[in-house]
Amino acid sequence: MNDPVVDATSSTPDGPGPSPSQDAAGHPGALLRVENVSKVYGSGHTAVTALDDATMSVDQGEFVALLGPSGSGKTTLISIIGGLLSASSGSVHIGNVDVTTLGGKERTKFRAERVGFVFQSANLVPFLTARENLLYVATLVKTPKKAASQRADQLLEELGLAGRAKNLPEQLSGGERQRVAIGRALMNDPDLVLVDEPTAALDTALGRQVVQLLRREIKDRGKTGIMVTHDLRMVEYTDRVFEILDGHLTHVESPSALGH
Amino acid sequence: MAGPARLLSTGELTRSKGRFGAVVAALALIVFLVLVLGALADGLFYGATGAVRSSNATAYAFSDDAEGSLIRSRLDESDVAAFAAAPGVEAAGPIGVLLTGGEGPSGEVDLAVFGLDVGGPGTPTTLVEGRLPDPGETGVAAVDTRLEDEGVTLGSQVSVGEVSVEVVGFVSDTAYQLQPTVWTSVADWRAMRDAVRPELRGQPTSINAVALVTESGASLADIAAAKPGTTVLTADEVGLAIPGVAQQKSTLNSIIYTTVAVATLVVALFFALLVLEKRELFAALKALGTSTGALGRAVFVQAIVATVLGIVLGTIVARLFGLIIPSTVPTLFRTDTLIQIAIFTLVAGVIGAAFSLRRIARIDPATAIGGTL
Ligand SMILES: Nc1ncnc2c1ncn2[C@@H]1O[C@H](COP(=O)(O)OP(=O)(O)OP(=O)(O)O)[C@@H](O)[C@H]1O
Ligand SMILES: [Mg+2]
Repeated sequence: MNDPVVDATSSTPDGPGPSPSQDAAGHPGALLRVENVSKVYGSGHTAVTALDDATMSVDQGEFVALLGPSGSGKTTLISIIGGLLSASSGSVHIGNVDVTTLGGKERTKFRAERVGFVFQSANLVPFLTARENLLYVATLVKTPKKAASQRADQLLEELGLAGRAKNLPEQLSGGERQRVAIGRALMNDPDLVLVDEPTAALDTALGRQVVQLLRREIKDRGKTGIMVTHDLRMVEYTDRVFEILDGHLTHVESPSALGH
Repeated sequence: MAGPARLLSTGELTRSKGRFGAVVAALALIVFLVLVLGALADGLFYGATGAVRSSNATAYAFSDDAEGSLIRSRLDESDVAAFAAAPGVEAAGPIGVLLTGGEGPSGEVDLAVFGLDVGGPGTPTTLVEGRLPDPGETGVAAVDTRLEDEGVTLGSQVSVGEVSVEVVGFVSDTAYQLQPTVWTSVADWRAMRDAVRPELRGQPTSINAVALVTESGASLADIAAAKPGTTVLTADEVGLAIPGVAQQKSTLNSIIYTTVAVATLVVALFFALLVLEKRELFAALKALGTSTGALGRAVFVQAIVATVLGIVLGTIVARLFGLIIPSTVPTLFRTDTLIQIAIFTLVAGVIGAAFSLRRIARIDPATAIGGTL
């Protein structure tokens, strides 16, 4: 496998750069534009501001990290980006769709077609085989059977799971399960792949492997990816890093800058 | 149906056979119970009312004090003419009934002897073998096919006291109060009655009731007015007035309804647990873009498959059980009862599954992400 950082430099058009202006809202050509998004849970004196006026943009083809301590608002932010949660204020554009204005049914459809999720615990369907778990999401967007089969087989092959296609999740290791989840996220050819703590349940070596694979799949396909993590070591596989602290999206740095 | 619901439902049905096997077994047990109870209810009802249901009479006239019971009613042969002349009556004929023990070719048998103008009102319409006695013919009878079990064949003699008749035909589904019937002339019936009830010998013209064939829409009250002190009931009402029939029917029906309610509960609980257990998975599937509708359909398909399997299995076991029930227990497995119970159970399954829908709808896809929520 290629050194991911080198790979990043060569295949990202913008290249990794610490320039703060890069995440300015309205950046032309950005696939994802988050503008002044706030999220308040609850109301009155129990209100919690989980996200305060967050603004960011990510270009097509970028793989970025969202880094922050527990409770800082990472999950809240990517849930809003992925159309799982509504924002209290602000807007989120993916391409030319404003996610925050979509109704419930449209959001469900939007998620199926344009967003791929990798959850912390793989959350595969336990009674479907690895291959069927991929085929499942294809049924959500009515992919023709043959095309879906071909794509599933190709993804499983790429993820090194060709020999495990007929296994149920319980017969797979944690790393294999997470790889199936990555395949599932890519199955419907989404614009955006959102990954929440994919390595939390894995040891470091395995975690690195999974993140490397994730990066390769995202890069090879020209997808845009956001990975939530609080593990500084995983950050080196990403092009840029957004830091979040107490709901404030504070820093934008290149992974290398974080090390110092 | 294609798509996500099919993949989910068939995947779980085929790979979680154990737990679905459990609910199928529970449903099969319920269906078995309901079918056996239904067969018992039908056996009692049809066995008690056959003579009335299978006759060509549309109504019967009784003495007022009889409360619709053929046995208790007392009329006279001379009343027949009064009813025959009543408005809306096409034909009227005497009916005498005697519940008694008698003698068949292979020993004692319980009998219900019906004396009538065979061929006239009250005659069974279910001849399956031989012939009915001719009008005015004496010394012969058509008997219920149940007597075949007692060794009775065409040409056999069946006797009550010293009076015997020759069997010339068989009629089916004509039992009365669970006793096989003998259909013969009024004269033969009366001779049998006098043989076993000597105290009635002084009533040479008494009969029990008058069988009527009425025009459709005829007023039964007007007909009863033709002879003061009488009541006219439809054949259906007479069936229900037979002692015990209405009570048995309602008791067994309420047991059946209760059991079906239990089936609803079983399915509801099973799927409630299943959905509860899969909350996290369903949240993830919703996050991936699965609609509540698709998840609901998957649950419905599973409920219908489990219920149908339960019905099939329960029916097979009930029919096998029917083969080993001693013939003294009156059971009757009827297809229409089976269909009715199958539909009830299926509806129970669907309603049971429907309780899970709200729970599925309430699952928030946002909880799928983050792991800790
Ligand atoms: N449904 C909710 N209701 C109320 N408060 C919430 C809710 N979800 C999150 N919060 C609060 O919002 C803040 C941000 O939560 P969030 O889950 O986004 O953090 P996080 O960065 O993902 O943390 P972690 O690394 O522990 O997953 C926290 O203070 C949390 O307690
Ligand atoms: Mg989180």
